[in-house]
Amino acid sequence: MTDKLFLKGRAGTVSRGATAWLMLLPLAAALVLFAVFPSIYVAALSFTKSTLGQPFRSWIGWANYYWLLGGGDRVFVPSLLRATIFAVVVSMVELALGLALAVRLTSLRRGGRLLRSVLLLPLMTPPVLVGVAWKLLLAPGGGLINGELLSLGLIAEPVSFLGTTPWALMSIMVADVWQWTPFVALLAYAALRQVPDDVVEAAWLDGAPPAAVFWKIQLPLTAHLLFAIFVLRLIMAFKIFDLVYILTFGGPGNATDMSGFTIWRTGLREFDVGRAAAQTVVFAVFVSVLLTPLLWLERRTEDHAA
Amino acid sequence: MTIDIGLDGKVVSEKGQVVATERTHRAASWLGLGRMISALLIALYAAFLLLPIAFLVSLTFKTRDEVLLGRFLTDKPTLENWWKAFQVIHLTDYVWHSVVIASLSAVVTLIVAAPATYAAVRLRHGAFLGSLALSSYVAPPVVALLPLFFLMRWLGLLNSFPGMILLYGIMNVPVAYWLLLGFLRKIPSALDEAAWIDGAGFFKTFLVIDLPLLAPGLVATGLICLILAYNEFLFASLFAQDDSVRGLTVAISLFQGDRFVNFGQMAVASLVGIAPIYVIALLFQDRLIGGLTAGSVK
Repeated sequence: MTDKLFLKGRAGTVSRGATAWLMLLPLAAALVLFAVFPSIYVAALSFTKSTLGQPFRSWIGWANYYWLLGGGDRVFVPSLLRATIFAVVVSMVELALGLALAVRLTSLRRGGRLLRSVLLLPLMTPPVLVGVAWKLLLAPGGGLINGELLSLGLIAEPVSFLGTTPWALMSIMVADVWQWTPFVALLAYAALRQVPDDVVEAAWLDGAPPAAVFWKIQLPLTAHLLFAIFVLRLIMAFKIFDLVYILTFGGPGNATDMSGFTIWRTGLREFDVGRAAAQTVVFAVFVSVLLTPLLWLERRTEDHAA
Repeated sequence: MTIDIGLDGKVVSEKGQVVATERTHRAASWLGLGRMISALLIALYAAFLLLPIAFLVSLTFKTRDEVLLGRFLTDKPTLENWWKAFQVIHLTDYVWHSVVIASLSAVVTLIVAAPATYAAVRLRHGAFLGSLALSSYVAPPVVALLPLFFLMRWLGLLNSFPGMILLYGIMNVPVAYWLLLGFLRKIPSALDEAAWIDGAGFFKTFLVIDLPLLAPGLVATGLICLILAYNEFLFASLFAQDDSVRGLTVAISLFQGDRFVNFGQMAVASLVGIAPIYVIALLFQDRLIGGLTAGSVK
């Protein structure tokens, strides 16, 4: 009914539908450029022998995929698994830490503003510089952590955190947790604020210990939002590249090779663009297969809560 | 009002009403204890967050020999690293390149995302395009790296300001769409409907009614996109290597591989690179936090 009224409009005004499509045109163009075209192009490249200078040198069918999944490539499949472990671990740690921090924030009376400025800092630091800062902290010669451990007598000689397994992967995880826990904390804090104050205060007045307030009231009421935050972090964590590039460059050996970095190296260091494209396709399919059920679940819980 | 606390733990006012019971006391002590523990843990965590940045600051005042001791404080601070770092690399140029590219790209992002959000939310058309944009965010950016490299080379946009501005402008559209969706939904649609009934065109309504109301959301979204563009490294490392457009992240990545660079100069370069972003963070703290949480919590 209202729709009809507006559709008539004043004589000479453009119809609702036409206006909408004109306004959506830039978005459509952006999607074609950034999503549709790259997907098709990379899929096509994956069936070719290609270099940076000469893409589409020759069509070679499924050869890149055979090489990739048939055991020819010993680095890529492990890098997929490593990226998955990395993404799941850091997202879970960040959710747990961020949530704990957010709960403490809700009971904080003073200093909230100052603390929020501190929380923003890691979140806004360019990942490249996060990498540099942690590299300097962890360095065997001149790094603060080795220096302090040595002077406390806890270690006899410097530990090469970035040059030995499993420390290297764990160091990348620590840097990632350092950067993104504040983000999770801010989102979780906003989620906790959705719980009506009087519900929480009533529980306090009844003498419920904080733990009970959290487990019985705050957590159940915000579970769907927290799950959404977890999925968002998982998506972001699969994109890990900068930290690997700066901190370990995939090493030692291939111990910190994660798919984003592996693809980059195949295409831009080994200059095998066709194989890099095949790796990209497998990576993209792998990530969507893994994340689609979670995204579906997220939408379900969201509808359920609303 | 005088208050008596009875032996049974009840708090009684002068009129004989029970004001609080023992349970309330217990609640109060829980809260008191909880707050102290909270404050302590939060202080410790804040120290952990500040540690890497504080260590960078301390490094800038150390000589090469003193760096190797791996201690936090130094006995004889020096300012040498500060002027040397600016001599060794064109730090101010790179920061300037990043600032120009990031801020103009944020404008491009808003020009693309804001009308689309309006069409999807108010005109109820093309929401599926928005969903498509959001699902494209799931894909790792490395997927687009090679195709966009060939496209940009073909268009002659490699190592150019317009190329990087367009690239980042488009890259951040899904994020901006998602954030603006949250902001626009909070604005009542009654004003738009009134304008339409009065005969204003749909696009004019967007310009005159919605954009001004959306201004705080646009600022927050624009700042977040600016920061994302400023911080980006993967695309920049391939598309903007040339010294004439090279931004901060690429410059730092090359700088840190250089054997002749010492930790002190590296720390100076890092801090100078982070500075513009931290200034934005401190000035627009509330806007940024509002923006970050706008899309996730309805």
